[in-house]
Amino acid sequence: MAKNAFDRRTFVKGAGLGVAGLAMGVPAFIPRLGEAADTIKLGLLEPYTGVYAGPAENETRGFDMAIDMWNKRGGVMGRKIEIVKEDEQNDPGVAAQKARKLVNQDKVVALMGTVSSGVSLSVSGVSNSLGTLFMDSGGHSDDVTGKSCHWNVFRTCHSTWMETHTTGYTLAKHFGKKWFLITPDYAYGHSLETGFKDVLARIGGTIVGNELTPLGTTDFSSYLTKIDAAKPDLILVLVQGDDYTNCLKQMNQFGLLKKYAVGGPQVELESLYGLPAEARQGYWGIEWYYKSELTLGKGNAAAHQFVADTIKRYGKPPTARNCFGYVTADRLLTAMRDAKSVDPAKVARAIENVHFTSIFNGSAYYRKEDHQLMWPMWVAKIRPSGTPGDPLDLFDVTDIQAAEAVEQTIAQKELVCKLGYP
Amino acid sequence: MTHDLAPQLFNGLVLGAFYGIVAIGLSLIMNLTGTINMAHGSFMTLAGYLAYTMVQRGMSFWVALIVAPLIVVIVGVLVERGLVRPLYKREPFYSLLMTFGLSLMAEEAFRLIWGPNGVPFSPPPALAGAAALGFMSFPTFRIFIAGVLIVAIVALALFLTRTRFGLRLRAAVQDTEMIAALGTNTQVLYAVNFGLGILLAGIAGVLAAGMLGLSPTSGNALLMPAFVTVIIGGMGSLFGSIVGGLLIGMAISLTTLFIPAASEVAMYILMAIVLLVRPRGLFGEEGIFG
Repeated sequence: MAKNAFDRRTFVKGAGLGVAGLAMGVPAFIPRLGEAADTIKLGLLEPYTGVYAGPAENETRGFDMAIDMWNKRGGVMGRKIEIVKEDEQNDPGVAAQKARKLVNQDKVVALMGTVSSGVSLSVSGVSNSLGTLFMDSGGHSDDVTGKSCHWNVFRTCHSTWMETHTTGYTLAKHFGKKWFLITPDYAYGHSLETGFKDVLARIGGTIVGNELTPLGTTDFSSYLTKIDAAKPDLILVLVQGDDYTNCLKQMNQFGLLKKYAVGGPQVELESLYGLPAEARQGYWGIEWYYKSELTLGKGNAAAHQFVADTIKRYGKPPTARNCFGYVTADRLLTAMRDAKSVDPAKVARAIENVHFTSIFNGSAYYRKEDHQLMWPMWVAKIRPSGTPGDPLDLFDVTDIQAAEAVEQTIAQKELVCKLGYP
Repeated sequence: MTHDLAPQLFNGLVLGAFYGIVAIGLSLIMNLTGTINMAHGSFMTLAGYLAYTMVQRGMSFWVALIVAPLIVVIVGVLVERGLVRPLYKREPFYSLLMTFGLSLMAEEAFRLIWGPNGVPFSPPPALAGAAALGFMSFPTFRIFIAGVLIVAIVALALFLTRTRFGLRLRAAVQDTEMIAALGTNTQVLYAVNFGLGILLAGIAGVLAAGMLGLSPTSGNALLMPAFVTVIIGGMGSLFGSIVGGLLIGMAISLTTLFIPAASEVAMYILMAIVLLVRPRGLFGEEGIFG
């Protein structure tokens, strides 16, 4: 044994080192060098590795499609658009560092992207200190357009308040008012919890259990074994990504889906595709859908074109994440064109309160007071095996809610959000 | 709260046995060659994806449960011969870094081949659903897993204690040079031993894919508890790995019941206590690495 002798301490150190390394991962994209000087460069931060890699890939596809479309039209102010992508690894610290790198080294004029709320908040803070625009495409926590709002930050996806207030009343109506929550233990989950507590206070319901699960939990069994004792009317699953898939799969194996109703503020097609049909159940909030008039709007040519183009280019229908990416980049570039500038403050002013139609039902605008995109939100019942002609057609969209009906009012937002323009 | 205790304890035991079997695989490889196999989780994930693909192509779950780990063993032995073997003469950090790099490459490869999203992989209908145990209903598949783990552990114990090859393996752990001097081909020992560790990883990988979920990161997520299990159980002791696994499983389950917020750190606290009181781990032999 002498030739590979080392003691326990060295082993513990070594293993620790290795495991720390595990958490760091590797960059998925290496920036290109020697780019032309007259392009407009946009920085994209997405978690290409980790539990949200699926949503990240689809947001990126949406961004790519919008930018290709603008480049085909001749760019903005005659300048081509270039996108520089970085893997933020679902880590707020890494994201902050990559955001600085994109701005200082790659000279991007705006940042976009993110999936996890923790990362969105981190990039929001850094971008504000750098004075660079940040378009949060996919991090939902209320704080991004609430108490941590900034003049340079806009958000495309719905806030957790919108998600909870769209789904809460519907779920209570269908299943009852005693809820058991399975909550991801970070900004997004806590923010959802606040929203649902507000809904329950209004309708007189109770939370009989709330399990805070770490992001990236693989085994949910020890949380699930507590549900029987709580006897809820409804199990609300708040976790997302791979955590969602693992949680629902295990709930099914524990026989819970046969005993209790299930639902939640948000479900994504990316997660549902990873589930066996028998674990696909319940009513959920959805943020867009490729195959419903309620989400796309009647006779909306742009929406149908977007769906067809995505299927043609990637062989898969778009999800809400594709929509976030597309809308985010399209609105940012529209504002640069309108402002005839890439100056952050001028572009920000050109985004605010401009009503537009896009690839979803109805018109929308980024609200001036908090920079939240005010667009409808929907509720869907899951079809476990799709429709006869399309096994991926998993949502039966049942309900649409106007943004103003489910988001906090301007008066409420003004109490917590100070944009602080320079 | 006490009526929750039995379900949590039982659940913890099954989970713990699972960590145990992963840890035994790690431990086998570590004991003989001093290699800290950071790619152990990747072998698990690979077995899961192979089984998933086989079932997708119409093979039965049972065939996949046997064939997928065997394919992974072949990959494992190739890795041992081609990549790990040249590093045996160097410090353990070299093989640690190499296998760590391998695990990163594997994760990206899984992402390229099977996509970044989780994929649906279910136990066969006979094992789906939950069985009523009286004090709780418990997934049939997890009961099956517990059975497989017991069989695997007993088979391994018999192999190591009752066969000539097993005796040589154990002797080599004690003194490789002496075994080589007595005429045993140690290179074959190393390869078989590595393959054995990977076989356990492969079986655990297919089971984990059915029990927990399957995505490019799922194997690496189980690696940390397995390392902690090895440290608690004690380096060099396979029995220790089993006990360590069971302890961790129960620690996680019980803290979830009483202090949910602490469930994530429970196993590290347990590890810290064990290291303070008994630095070699519960069943570790003094100086197994020195």
